[in-house]
Amino acid sequence: MNRDALVWCLVAVAAIAVAAVVALVARNRALEAKKEHTEAELRHQLLAADSHLHASRAELQRFRNEQDATLREAKEAAEENTKSVLKGAASLLQSLAAEQTTLLDGIQRKYGGHAVLSDLLDVNHANAQMARKAQGIAVMCGAPLGRRNRPASVYDVVRSAQGQIRNFHRVAIMQQTGLALKASAVAPVALAVAELLDNAASFSQHDAPIEVTFQRVQNNLCIVIDDAGVSMNDEDRQRATALLSGEIAPRLSQLGTQPKFGFPVIGLIARQHGFKVDVTGVSRYGGVRAVVLLPEELWTMEEIPPVQEAPVSNIRRASENRPHSAPHSAPHSAPQSAPPSAPSRTMHGLPKRGARQAPIASVPDPEPRPDTTWAAPRSPEETGRASGRSLGAFQRGTLSGRNLDATSFEGPEDA
Amino acid sequence: MPEGPGQDEELELTSPLVPLFVITNGRALPPDHEYEHTTLVTATGAENGQVAARTLSPEAGQVMDLVADGFLSVAEVAGHTHLPLGVVRILLAQLEEDSLILARTPIPRAERVDRELVSAVLEGLKNRFGA
Repeated sequence: MNRDALVWCLVAVAAIAVAAVVALVARNRALEAKKEHTEAELRHQLLAADSHLHASRAELQRFRNEQDATLREAKEAAEENTKSVLKGAASLLQSLAAEQTTLLDGIQRKYGGHAVLSDLLDVNHANAQMARKAQGIAVMCGAPLGRRNRPASVYDVVRSAQGQIRNFHRVAIMQQTGLALKASAVAPVALAVAELLDNAASFSQHDAPIEVTFQRVQNNLCIVIDDAGVSMNDEDRQRATALLSGEIAPRLSQLGTQPKFGFPVIGLIARQHGFKVDVTGVSRYGGVRAVVLLPEELWTMEEIPPVQEAPVSNIRRASENRPHSAPHSAPHSAPQSAPPSAPSRTMHGLPKRGARQAPIASVPDPEPRPDTTWAAPRSPEETGRASGRSLGAFQRGTLSGRNLDATSFEGPEDA
Repeated sequence: MPEGPGQDEELELTSPLVPLFVITNGRALPPDHEYEHTTLVTATGAENGQVAARTLSPEAGQVMDLVADGFLSVAEVAGHTHLPLGVVRILLAQLEEDSLILARTPIPRAERVDRELVSAVLEGLKNRFGA
């Protein structure tokens, strides 16, 4: 009996347990389904939010770009405006400086014999430095450089550059060369070399030498500038190389309150005129070696012909070898057989001047010569014959005047 | 940079390329009484001079050529080189310092003697020696 009751109890418990399990499973299923549903919903919302975020971000980026572009445009416009304003002013300054240089040169030649000359030379030096600055600013603003119409020897171009820096006497040009720069290259190379010399002078001791040499490397002509200053570190070198190649053109507004436009200016003109400048070398004094590399389009082997001078050798020799002055004058003289008194004619039919009766006496005669010497016919030789003759006449006149005076004085005294 | 065509007219530089103060290398003028117009200069022709002459500037070389075999006055040197007189004087001073040239100052002008003084002296001499 008891046993039956126990079995039934067990059966009832098992049934309850099964029912409980079934109920739990069902509930679990329901919960899971609900969870999945919620998750899906959340995921959907997340996606929507994400896409919204993307759109917002894109819009923000667009606005940012627009703003940047506007800023850049504004900056460029400001730069262009500054440039065009400055360009006008710098061009004017440049032309004034050039005009003043020409004027000063005229004044120097006019008052060449006066003591004021040394002051004029100083003024011209100051003016040359100002002209360089004006040229530099003009180049930075995109204005054209002044141009020269005649080719010049590279030696003279460097001397011209030398004159544009403050301590120009520190610059020693070690060689003379007949190689000439073409006219179009004269002004830009002079400015570039001037900026390099100025750089060399400002980064070395105030009395250290700056040496300039010339080298021909294959088809290039190199102007080498050695200074004894401090050398540059790697960062400086990289920056200088970038500036000198003309790749980076710094804005005017980036130049700062104490603008250094040496290298940017060199970079710009080197790029415009097709030459290269390098400052990465080390000079033999441990300073910087700057090299201006001119390709063969910019220079020629032709020497600049010197200004033709009237030959003066005859005048000099006549004073030394008066008795035989004729042989020296042979290349310039008319045929010796022609009588000097006969008025011969030039090839254009104009009457020739008569032969000089005496050479210009640079050295006083050792003894007064009799009048016959003066009258003796001489070969028609010197170019300044007329002046020589008038000098001779003057001399004779004063001589005879003095003689007359002497007799007239002695007369009453003796009496 | 876009430019109007008129604005880009290139400036023509007409001044001499090498300024005079570079030719003189910044030296000061010699004193007034040195290298007057009529002072005569000539090359010394010294051996060391010829060595030094190779490193001369073209202008100094031109002066050396002019005075190479004879005396020439300072004024003539200036005339032939087309350089201002003062510049030539500076160049000559430099050349003489390098003992490349000799300068010969002109014979100074005789001073005008007071005639009364001379006749007084003559009078005195006559009285003394009874001429």
